[in-house]
Amino acid sequence: MKKIGKSTFFIVVAIIALFSVTVIFGIDYRYGDIPKTYIKGVDDIRLGIDIKGGVDATFEPADDFDASEDQLNAATEVFKTRLSALGITDSEIYSDSKSDRIIVRFPWQAGETDFDPESAVKELGEMAELSFRMGSDTTTDATGKTAYTGEVVLTGADVEQAEVQTHQNDTTKEPEYVVGLKLKSTGKEKFANATSEAYSAGQPIAIWMDETQISAPKVNAVITDGQAIIEGDFTFESAKKLADQINGGALPFKMETKSTNTISPTMGEGSLDAILLAAAIAFAFIAVYMIFLYRLPGFVAVIALTGQITGSIAFVTGWFGFMPGSTLTIPGIAGIILAVGMGVDANIITGERIKEELRSGKTLDGAIKVAYKRAFSAILDGNITNVLIAVILMGAFGVPTSFFSKILNKTVFFMFGATAEGFVYSFGFTLLAGVILNFVMGVFASRLMVTSLSKFNCFKNRKLYGGEEK
Amino acid sequence: MSTKKSKKEIAALMPKKVYNITGKKKMILGIVIAVALAFLVGLIVRGVNFAIEFKGGTMMTYNYEGSVSTSDIEKTVKELVDTSVNVRTGESISSGDKQITISFTTDDGFTGDQQSELTSKLQAQYPENKIELFDSNDVNPSTGREFLIKCLVAIIFAAIVVIIYIAIRFRRIGGWSAGLCSIFALCHDLLVAITVNVLFGFEFNSNTVAVLLTILGYSINNTIVIYDRIRENRKLMPKSSLNELINVSCTQSLTRSIRTSITTISTMLIITIVVLVTGYHSLLSFSVPLMAGLISGTYSSIFVAPATWSWMKAREARKNAQGSEKEKKENAPAKAEAPAEKEEAPAEKKSANSNKSSSKKKKK
Repeated sequence: MKKIGKSTFFIVVAIIALFSVTVIFGIDYRYGDIPKTYIKGVDDIRLGIDIKGGVDATFEPADDFDASEDQLNAATEVFKTRLSALGITDSEIYSDSKSDRIIVRFPWQAGETDFDPESAVKELGEMAELSFRMGSDTTTDATGKTAYTGEVVLTGADVEQAEVQTHQNDTTKEPEYVVGLKLKSTGKEKFANATSEAYSAGQPIAIWMDETQISAPKVNAVITDGQAIIEGDFTFESAKKLADQINGGALPFKMETKSTNTISPTMGEGSLDAILLAAAIAFAFIAVYMIFLYRLPGFVAVIALTGQITGSIAFVTGWFGFMPGSTLTIPGIAGIILAVGMGVDANIITGERIKEELRSGKTLDGAIKVAYKRAFSAILDGNITNVLIAVILMGAFGVPTSFFSKILNKTVFFMFGATAEGFVYSFGFTLLAGVILNFVMGVFASRLMVTSLSKFNCFKNRKLYGGEEK
Repeated sequence: MSTKKSKKEIAALMPKKVYNITGKKKMILGIVIAVALAFLVGLIVRGVNFAIEFKGGTMMTYNYEGSVSTSDIEKTVKELVDTSVNVRTGESISSGDKQITISFTTDDGFTGDQQSELTSKLQAQYPENKIELFDSNDVNPSTGREFLIKCLVAIIFAAIVVIIYIAIRFRRIGGWSAGLCSIFALCHDLLVAITVNVLFGFEFNSNTVAVLLTILGYSINNTIVIYDRIRENRKLMPKSSLNELINVSCTQSLTRSIRTSITTISTMLIITIVVLVTGYHSLLSFSVPLMAGLISGTYSSIFVAPATWSWMKAREARKNAQGSEKEKKENAPAKAEAPAEKEEAPAEKKSANSNKSSSKKKKK
């Protein structure tokens, strides 16, 4: 770091520019008709339901039924199957075994005009209809729905339990994951008859949840003891999913909404435009103001702030591979505004410091060096407190499985269940991202740029930094 | 390198005019407490109007065409829920559609099943009017309460963590009292924001929580910038009294505080104006209280936190002095500041105290 030459400024600007361009436009590549997105651009930002409209619902078992963790996982799997059956692809779903809650959030589907959120929510909570049917034949009815034609062998009421087991493969002798199925006595005989029929006909017995076929295993033997094993190249996850789905069909309870929030898609769009317009005006104002007050450091601050804003967007889109993106909500935008405010503040603190140090009679180089050093402790403490706040918020209101939540929910928030309100989390997320960027852009990058520019003879004039001329 | 400064440099850095903030601390605290009380009274009189995400309840909005009778709709809803029902008509800002909003609070929520039952009933009642659900929000009262408490616990927990952090980072200048004072200033800002929220007739909703969180971060940052200056000046001017340090540091940070505040407050002002022009009034409950909190945050960090701190330190010193009256008189002033400033060299303490007592005499 000792050598900051003239070229440093251009390198930093080029990096920020390149970064901003990839963040805004993304990198995608089209091979024939298959588009492949390497980096998501601004257009791919997932907007929260407060902007885009959508449904946010929290379910709990009806009649205060106390569900076990396995039952809740099974219910979650039922929800997932149903959501994809409804054509909802970008839903978020969380379960919290402490409060027996399942939280579902999904935005309005693009191009969907006659989507009925009420019936979707109602359908989600219904008891799943599980059926084992002879054969895997289906027909497509007039409305485009796939329907089953095979005769019903078993229903969810006949299933005792399904679970993931490991099992040695007969031919390869390698251990593999399978789904073990245990039937109630009511199903034993029915299953024995069905398997013997299917076995002789060489037919599979398909497993259906509602109107979705979840598996169609081939029958390899007649099963008379009510204990079957479903094989197939399962990973642990896929075996667990199938087991949960089967268990979902045997759940003795229905899920009821504890809170629902349906937001019309037309409501948010306008407010997003309003915010974007305001943000553009505000940024223009800040740019003029900073350059007017601090001249050269002010100009550098504007470049750094641009980097900070695009950086925040990068965090939201998931530009940084190691960290998944987030949905952008209105409170999330508030988090960005606060972080940008802190960024402006960092630049103002430094700008003021440069002026002071120049006034005390230091050389330009010395003043810049000292100013950045001295300003840093204030910037550090102010920003670290905001990191602490952001982390607490992300922990308290994040999804139950996230890292911060696991720690906080067991300690400070032990008496609370998971909440459906992702908005506080969203605020914490963008604030944390913005504060981290503040160190990178507002402190590090702007120091490099100002120091580098001060090496040019044409920028040696102390007036450019707010000092009096000598 | 920062610790070794020539006297000339320090003199050059000293502001020409130092504002005597600690000298006016009684006035400042008086005004602040009066303002806070006025706000508190306003808050109590108007009462906080919690949105349904906190108090629980149901609000359903439908688009319709033609005309419908609100009292008939009220009757239909009452068949389903046994509680008082509020029905009002309005217009969507974005699409201009006619809308009807039904709101009520039930003890155990209004489940998805019941919601679709209501919708189909209304559609059957007014087949001609193309009644369609626009949006709906239903929160079980117990869930809402739990969420409110969780938000409050999160804010309080964050405040405690911040006090601890400040206490550690600023231990050289008496960290715990500094941390407490920053939280006092913060509470003041939060009170201002909540009251403005109430006086403008906004609901206490998720936007409000976002506002409170923003102020939490902003207000503490503001106070820390001044503490940082005090911490630095303590090294440069070890012989000055705490009050002098506070005054010099506040004066030095004044330009920065005002300039930063101008940017943040202008940003909120721009948002407010744009929102008013475009008509998306739902964002006003975000921008207006935040603006109030930011204004409050500016003066509370310059005046309230330092003045409170100076007052607290003076009181601490007096208490300690009284406690050790029986001991040798020369020792008393040295002990006065001892608990908070253990790291300081004894010589500094004595001089700091003699400075303080001399400044007190001046006032008289």
